[in-house]
Amino acid sequence: MTEPRDELAAAHDAISYDEDFSAFAASRWPGLVRLAFGLTGDRWTAEDIAQTALAKAYVAWRRVSGAADPDAYLRRILVNTSNRRFRKRRVTEQPGDLPELAVEGPADLVGERAALVAALRQLPARQRAVIVLRYWDDLTDVQIAAALGCSPGTVRSQLSRGLAALRANPAFGEGDEW
Amino acid sequence: MVTVTEDTQLRRRVDDMLRAVQPSAVPLDAIVRRGNGIRLRRAGAAVVGVGLAGILAVTTLALDVGRQPAAPAAAPTDPAAPGETIATGTADGHAWRLAVQDIADPGSRCVPAITVNGTDADPVYPDPGYSAAVALGAVLPGIAFGFIQLPADIRGIIVNGRRYVPAVTVAACGYRYHVAGFAYSLAQATRITAANPPPGEPTDFAMPDLASKPPATEVTPQSAGVWVNMGRVSGAAASGTLASAGIPEKGWSIAVTFGTGGDCYEFSASSSLGSAQTGACGPVSTPDGPETIMALPLGLPGDATAYAVQVSPRTARLKAFLSNGSSELATPRVVDGRKYAAFVVPNALRLSRLNWLDAAGAVIASTTALPRYGYVQFQP
Repeated sequence: MTEPRDELAAAHDAISYDEDFSAFAASRWPGLVRLAFGLTGDRWTAEDIAQTALAKAYVAWRRVSGAADPDAYLRRILVNTSNRRFRKRRVTEQPGDLPELAVEGPADLVGERAALVAALRQLPARQRAVIVLRYWDDLTDVQIAAALGCSPGTVRSQLSRGLAALRANPAFGEGDEW
Repeated sequence: MVTVTEDTQLRRRVDDMLRAVQPSAVPLDAIVRRGNGIRLRRAGAAVVGVGLAGILAVTTLALDVGRQPAAPAAAPTDPAAPGETIATGTADGHAWRLAVQDIADPGSRCVPAITVNGTDADPVYPDPGYSAAVALGAVLPGIAFGFIQLPADIRGIIVNGRRYVPAVTVAACGYRYHVAGFAYSLAQATRITAANPPPGEPTDFAMPDLASKPPATEVTPQSAGVWVNMGRVSGAAASGTLASAGIPEKGWSIAVTFGTGGDCYEFSASSSLGSAQTGACGPVSTPDGPETIMALPLGLPGDATAYAVQVSPRTARLKAFLSNGSSELATPRVVDGRKYAAFVVPNALRLSRLNWLDAAGAVIASTTALPRYGYVQFQP
């Protein structure tokens, strides 16, 4: 039989668990959605993947919060979730319709964003992930390798191929200065 | 080799692209629900009543310490309400009523279901031992409703060792059900025992664990109003295509499967980019109750959001107004005696209003409270 005092103690633990996680999730949410958008090119898919990643982090919150770098842990969950989703849906890496971007801006700026989204969508998932993690999250080869579960050498080769593909992509603006 | 200029420019462009994305507010409740769903799947969905309450339940417990489980009263029948009453009571000041009733549209084949306050139905057929439970989310936080179909010789059940709930025999669509219905608090694991177990028979009845209930789908974390069932026999499922376009290799379709899992919709799309599908289950509406408006967003290759609504019998058309000023007309299709309407909105546009039209084209209801994903309920 559980004593009321035990129930209260368990309840307080749970509240602390949830409060800690809530603060973490709220602070990481915008960045996660943007990272997921970079990986997928789709706003709603990005929010769904970010939500799934945080749900997984919630389940393992004690391990995530106790990790030396919780953000790295979360990033890896997000990348894995994104990769799994694409595998599951058997979506080939092809350009699609340009996504809606929520913020309005000068026409040329909006066009530039859309061109980059389209160009990234044409890259294989790993090359796209390497580019986004490098140029958005500012990660080193070692950090990117940890997020993707590969070696730093693979990161360098994927980055090189991805950048070459971007340069050659007419949608991105071949010959243009980045 | 990347030059310094290239590196700087690409960094600027990626930064600009991603900062232009404005995420919606962090959906903490949905994340926690989804987390508990993951936990449940890992633990094994069939495990019942063994302390699987999980973090959400414990949190609810913390908020509910001191609150007594909702106590159902005996079951006086309200002759004005549809169906036959199984149990009534009040929970947190809200009156509730469990009943069995026909939820098909008038003139269609009878479909028996158990409802909460005349809505959120669970199609059900006689099967002693069969149990189900539902939570209504924000409508009645922390409270769940359940029922158990009992063998004829069991006169009632004991909830958590102290509350006696008598079984009643009710009928719908020609079937008779010997059933006990009750409300209970989600703050603690619920134990149900037979009031008079026959010698040698099991005394415990299993109930679904709603506190750890998985979300409806990846994209629709809500589960309020969707029953979770346990038993050998489920209500007969019916399915049908609600809308489609193109050919199987290049097109899309929206389908519904109606059964004990709720109204479960699937949006599939195929093109040269590949194929993808997404699905979600929502509450089962009744002819007079609120209608469930379900949104199923899909990225590549569909790049569109499917909307499906189980509409009232007198709805002849559903008119969807889009953000660019255009509109679409959807004609309902009947699946198992119930009308559904469905249509697709490209992700570049937004659904801004829905109008319900009768056979004469007159507007009988309208709403702008529309989901971008998941579902909302609307009373026309």
